[in-house]
Amino acid sequence: MPAVIVLLVVLAIYALGYRYYSSYLARRVYALDPAYVTPAHRYSDGVDFVPTNKHIVFAHHFISIAGAAPIVGPAIAVFWGWLPALLWVVLGTVFAAGAHDFGALVVSLRHKARSIGTVARDVISTRARTLFLLIIYFLVTMVNAVFAVVIATLLVNNPEAVLPVLLTIPLAIGVGQYVYRKRTAALLPSLLALVIVYSAIWLGQHVPITVDPIANAVGLQPMTVWILLIFAYTFFASRLPVWVLLQPRDYINQQQMVLALLVIMLGVLIGWNTIAAPAVHDVPEGSPPWFPLLFITIACGAVSGFHSLVSSGTTAKQLNKESDARYVGYLGSLGEGTLALCSILAATAGVVALSATPAADWQARYADWETASDGALGTFTEGVAGFANNLGVPVAIGTVFAAVVVISFAATSLDTAVRLQRYIVQEIAEMVGLRAVARNLTLATAVALSLPIILALLPGDFAFGTLWQLFGTTNQLTAGLALAVIAVWVTRRRRNPIVILIPLVFLVTMTSWALLIQLHEFATSADPLEVFLLAPLDAIIFLLAVWLIIEAAVALRRAWAARAVEADAGEESAVRSGEHDDR
Amino acid sequence: MTGEPGVPGRSRGRPGATGAVGAVGTARSVAAKLRRAWRRAEELFDAVFTARWGPSARRAARDQADTLRALVLLETLGVDNPVRYETLELIPYLVADLHEWHRRMGKEEFGDPGVCC
Repeated sequence: MPAVIVLLVVLAIYALGYRYYSSYLARRVYALDPAYVTPAHRYSDGVDFVPTNKHIVFAHHFISIAGAAPIVGPAIAVFWGWLPALLWVVLGTVFAAGAHDFGALVVSLRHKARSIGTVARDVISTRARTLFLLIIYFLVTMVNAVFAVVIATLLVNNPEAVLPVLLTIPLAIGVGQYVYRKRTAALLPSLLALVIVYSAIWLGQHVPITVDPIANAVGLQPMTVWILLIFAYTFFASRLPVWVLLQPRDYINQQQMVLALLVIMLGVLIGWNTIAAPAVHDVPEGSPPWFPLLFITIACGAVSGFHSLVSSGTTAKQLNKESDARYVGYLGSLGEGTLALCSILAATAGVVALSATPAADWQARYADWETASDGALGTFTEGVAGFANNLGVPVAIGTVFAAVVVISFAATSLDTAVRLQRYIVQEIAEMVGLRAVARNLTLATAVALSLPIILALLPGDFAFGTLWQLFGTTNQLTAGLALAVIAVWVTRRRRNPIVILIPLVFLVTMTSWALLIQLHEFATSADPLEVFLLAPLDAIIFLLAVWLIIEAAVALRRAWAARAVEADAGEESAVRSGEHDDR
Repeated sequence: MTGEPGVPGRSRGRPGATGAVGAVGTARSVAAKLRRAWRRAEELFDAVFTARWGPSARRAARDQADTLRALVLLETLGVDNPVRYETLELIPYLVADLHEWHRRMGKEEFGDPGVCC
């Protein structure tokens, strides 16, 4: 099937989802009120709470949620065939992610724009806030470990990408200083920086950089050296004020993302490449089962708990009108779904665009689970290169271009996640009375990075796919907690929560099931690392999932009972006063 | 497309304008349009990419101002202050914004009627 047909059909479904399903959610489930005074107006302070045009808020929201994660997951998940991956991306985006992102934004708006963790305490219980902290701790631990592996893999496989990636750091600092000191517009310096980065992609073809000499000198694998260097960079980068490096890096990254999306879509439209992967892949015996592992492998590509953090922490403080939540929240999730769609197309059509035997080449890349998951990043970058080639860009340049985009995103995510993990470590240290860790930035950062470093450096058969799936489980659990908060809130307001409950039950069931399968695999492994490190880690995350299920069930039961009592009281009151509240 | 009123050559096809002057006028008009488009692009870029980071920068600036304010306040309360020569002359400015600061710090009233509230 031509990739362009899939692209157009899915975009049409997204459009229908926005037109009809988000409208249903806005009217019947969240009951948006354009006259409601949003926190941006009520607490306007010119710093955090600022009423902003909805198109600008959408851009801020989308930029914050878009990253490397929706790209990597689908590129691995097409191992089971393009159809199951595409179906979950489309259905998950329209029915789960849309309701989740949109709902988290509305609930936060109705709770003084507080973060979803604080709202969980208000809506569910004080324990839910602790549960939230723990889930987020494991989420950012996995993000830090997995993104370090992502970057190291790309740098080892693409030594031509090292020069442009390294150059991005001083360029970003230069742009930040220039804009800050000159108080000038950022467009021209950012564009110049982008031009220099892309010139370095061409230059990098002639000056590939590897760490092999260092690796040989110290007796380590190049991958290990890169991972250590990445964590060393992150240790220092995450301690800088955001405007020094993180912020100007973001200007350059986002331009790259817009460019990459344009390249993929134009490449698909012009090239008419055919999808070489089978609709359903007849995977070798002993491979992980697609049900339920597909749902946690795709992770952010379909629904992401991280979005609830952005919706509630930042976006809710900027919304001018409550009715803007539909445009910003729902459309943002469709944007993320579009990134996942591009990843599926790159991994199934773009990657074999220039091959004489596309089906056989694709089968070789996805021959077994280890080959598929370890090679997913290369598959994506070469897939983008295949589409870029339709626009006249040489394959070698296109591959490095895609690698630089993914590395830039992953590096920014790593920087942000380490900051977040440090805050959580400090908060937990404060709670248990470890003042030295709570007050000392260096110590807190070191503690925060210790577990991710161990996970990222695990030797042996610890495949990238396994690490990715552990990340997927924590991400889906975060989404589950946010959906539980939304469901309880909707129930209390006497509206039908069924459209929230279905994705909630589905996500939590699939995640718990996948965790049990992995737990069995780790516990019965011959590798002591899997038995003594991964199995306990998996068991802890599984216990968090069970805790979430109990917490959500109790809160929903309580909300339902309170609703019935209120309904009875309302009827009595209506009989007495002759009025009826039909909210 | 109209140029500036009364300026020959600013309007295309105006009777009496020579070809060369008309071409210069067109070029100027195009240049002005490009400048306006560039300014709009700069504004849009700043609104989308730069403004997103505004709160962190403003919060950092406010935190620094709070530290300075606390130093000046300590000076007024007689606490030994290592930078007293620098902060002494800032005391009048302190009184001006003390009210907003103590409310932000969670105290509705400052507590010393002679200074604030």
